[in-house]
Amino acid sequence: MADEPMSSQTDTICLETRDLWFAYGDNPPALRGISLTIRAGDFVGLVGQNGSGKTTLAKHFNGLLRPTQGQVLLYGQDIRDRPVGELARTVGYVFQNPDHQIFSATTREEIAFGPRNLGLEEAEVQRRTEQAMEHFDLTEYADHQPAVLGFGLRRKVSIAAVYSMRPQILILDEPTAGLDWHCTHDLMERLTALHRQGHTIILITHDMRLIAQYTPRCMVLREGKLLLYDDTRKVFEHCDLLRETHIELPQVCELARELAPIGVRRDALTVPELCDSYADLIARREVTNAGGH
Amino acid sequence: MQVGIDLFVLRKSWLHEIDPRVKLFFVAVSIIILLVFKNIFFMLTALVLLHLLHWSAKIPRDRILFVWKTLMPVAILICVLWVVFYPAGDPLIQIWMVKITLVSLAQGAVLGLRIMTMAFVVFAWLYSTDQPSIVRSLVKLKMPFEWGLILALALRYIPTFQGMYAVISEAQQARALNISEGKGFGRVRTLMPIFVAMVISALRASDQLARALEARAFGAHGVERTYLRDISFRPLDWVFTFAIFATALLLLYLNFRYGFGRQPISLF
Repeated sequence: MADEPMSSQTDTICLETRDLWFAYGDNPPALRGISLTIRAGDFVGLVGQNGSGKTTLAKHFNGLLRPTQGQVLLYGQDIRDRPVGELARTVGYVFQNPDHQIFSATTREEIAFGPRNLGLEEAEVQRRTEQAMEHFDLTEYADHQPAVLGFGLRRKVSIAAVYSMRPQILILDEPTAGLDWHCTHDLMERLTALHRQGHTIILITHDMRLIAQYTPRCMVLREGKLLLYDDTRKVFEHCDLLRETHIELPQVCELARELAPIGVRRDALTVPELCDSYADLIARREVTNAGGH
Repeated sequence: MQVGIDLFVLRKSWLHEIDPRVKLFFVAVSIIILLVFKNIFFMLTALVLLHLLHWSAKIPRDRILFVWKTLMPVAILICVLWVVFYPAGDPLIQIWMVKITLVSLAQGAVLGLRIMTMAFVVFAWLYSTDQPSIVRSLVKLKMPFEWGLILALALRYIPTFQGMYAVISEAQQARALNISEGKGFGRVRTLMPIFVAMVISALRASDQLARALEARAFGAHGVERTYLRDISFRPLDWVFTFAIFATALLLLYLNFRYGFGRQPISLF
């Protein structure tokens, strides 16, 4: 893996699943024949109801779960026999609950844990640790006990601790759960910055506003099957299908649909998009009216 | 069948029906008897009777095998250590400094069998009594309700902590921790990130639980506690209690008065 991730989306396929099936023990399959590809540099939102298989699918990407049937390919290579520790160099996975990984006496040590496990030189470990702390604005907490920091900061520590390993692909399982809107946006802006640097980001969430605002691509799971996977704008066109899976579009998207008959763009995803479209509409009408007089 | 933390096996049997306090009494009395008696034939008979008890309570065969598989290595180890280190009487065979005698063989077998019989006594109780009933019976035996609740919560949280261990282990593996690395203390050091994260999560969970209980008026003063589900002795429970008590008394009398079951090989 390159030290600095490559820039933005490419045509290289970094992750691929072929007819992926998985069942926990004797239970019915949690994943049913999922075939998909994710390009390097993508920012993909992974949505679906509770129990639809989002986390189960994501855990296949870094080898925490192994397919009952089918294949998972990382940069074209089957990962069947590759240990999780080795895959962690390329695929970072941030768990839903930050408390499930924090154990060190200081934030610095917590963030340095992953790079040390990779067997890097101490100077490189320190360099990555400092950079990760800087990126997530944690430098002032470097010598604090991470376990007693506030939830938002613990969340950042858990992400920084995975980011410091410099995985090309970063999977985040509901990273904004329990965060207020300010912390959520602060975190999403930092993830967007990582995406701009060329990291592939897979974001599991229930918050469709985040999908609309931040993830250009979106996949929807229902009962272990891949229901939709396309550009977010195209996925949001299937609002009836989404509603069937109890996924509600952001209100601004609903409003855009309602205003479409008067000329506002129907597929606006965010408030600024809607406002711009409405302003354009007004401007066009003014021009038309001025021309008429 | 996988044997989990809750050992209870749901069946309709006489053993399941009787009051949990009777079963607890049976366990206590049986353990005293098994510690007092030192005869191999007595132990073998007890073991056979306990298997009959499990069979009559419709305990599945794999549950019985689980007890054997789990405790057999310990029983054999104790037996072998006794035979090697405590020779008594004339040696049957001697290999270098190790003398193997008939008496030490019998004594070792008694110790091994005692482990097995005691285990079957305890498992008869655990297989036929669900966790709430165990707690209820202890509270009924004047254990403070708070202690009973602590016990119930401890039992309730075991599967939760098992799940937590699995998730934390995955989270640390995702940070390239090789959990199969090292042996002995090296392995303990390897697993330390999992253990420490477990302790932090457990402390956080216990703190939240305590606050949630307080928020629901747990421990409020001047309130007399009532119980939704209560247990009470039926005539049959008295019959069993009396039968257990009488049998134990008889066996102990025979043991102390006539030396019944005191010798490892001969009954008297």
